[in-house]
Amino acid sequence: MHIMEGYLSLQWCIVWWLFALPCLAYGVLHLKKVMDADREALPLLGVTGGFIFLLSSLKLPTPFGSSSHPTGTGLSAICFGPWITSVVCAIVLLFQALFLAHGGLSTLGANTVSMGIIGPLVGYTMYRLLKNTSVSMYTTVFLVTAFADLSTYVVTSFQLALGAVHPATGNVVSSFIVFLGIFAITQIPIAIVEGIVLALVFKYIVQLKPDILIHLNIFSEETINAARREADGP
Amino acid sequence: MAHKYNLEILAVFAIAAFCIIFLYTSITAKNSGFAGTDDIAAGKIAELSGTPSGEIHPIIPQWVPPSAEVESTLFALQAALGGMIIGGVFGFWIGQKKKV
Repeated sequence: MHIMEGYLSLQWCIVWWLFALPCLAYGVLHLKKVMDADREALPLLGVTGGFIFLLSSLKLPTPFGSSSHPTGTGLSAICFGPWITSVVCAIVLLFQALFLAHGGLSTLGANTVSMGIIGPLVGYTMYRLLKNTSVSMYTTVFLVTAFADLSTYVVTSFQLALGAVHPATGNVVSSFIVFLGIFAITQIPIAIVEGIVLALVFKYIVQLKPDILIHLNIFSEETINAARREADGP
Repeated sequence: MAHKYNLEILAVFAIAAFCIIFLYTSITAKNSGFAGTDDIAAGKIAELSGTPSGEIHPIIPQWVPPSAEVESTLFALQAALGGMIIGGVFGFWIGQKKKV
């Protein structure tokens, strides 16, 4: 779900733009630094960005009689962190706003904050917490991608409760719960499937290009090599 | 051997379960129109704010796809772009691996 044009007041659009712009600026600088340090990271950025492009275009029906789309941001959050992910997401969201009217231009800042910044930030925090624990690499990828997806919709609910409902007609807390009921319930099965699919994609990246994952220090060399041996089988 | 393909098996089961539950819901539930959460939320905003959806005006004018078919095509184009990038990079990596 991207907040549509006109659904947030001008003041709230400005607030979310002011939140998003410094993060995007930092993301661009960080992206340049990563690419200057290692050009081999570019194809990996292409894959993670490609999944955001691909998955955010798929409107999936759910068992609850409604439909929504995955975000695909978890993989990018793990590989490049939330700031570079915010830049990739802003490009995807701009494409959707310009050519699909899926999400507005004035609300692009708000949508970038939910899908590009806070969702990946939640995922990245989870990744950092789980990275050096006994939790397996693929379980970590599953949890990060699923929670990055779910938290995006929690933030969207919060943004709508704050900016779309007039205080005279709706309380912020009760409106937040109403929107959360709409988004979270639909999103749970989608986030689970997204988590499993992206964990599988990560397995193929480990098999094909383990050196870049080790070089970017995404997981330790021992963890990557153990996962490769496991994937190669006896 | 089964251990080697655990994730693949899990993914197939998850996608199959997702599809079966969707089909079951679409056959049994009379009111499941599978409306997008965007539309459901828009209806709720109209209800909570007292402003009908038709009276919400854009702050920045926006081009809107002229029909649902055009919109679907553009969504498919977006998915294709993503798929081409992913396929291209995976193909490049496989080629690199074969060379070594």
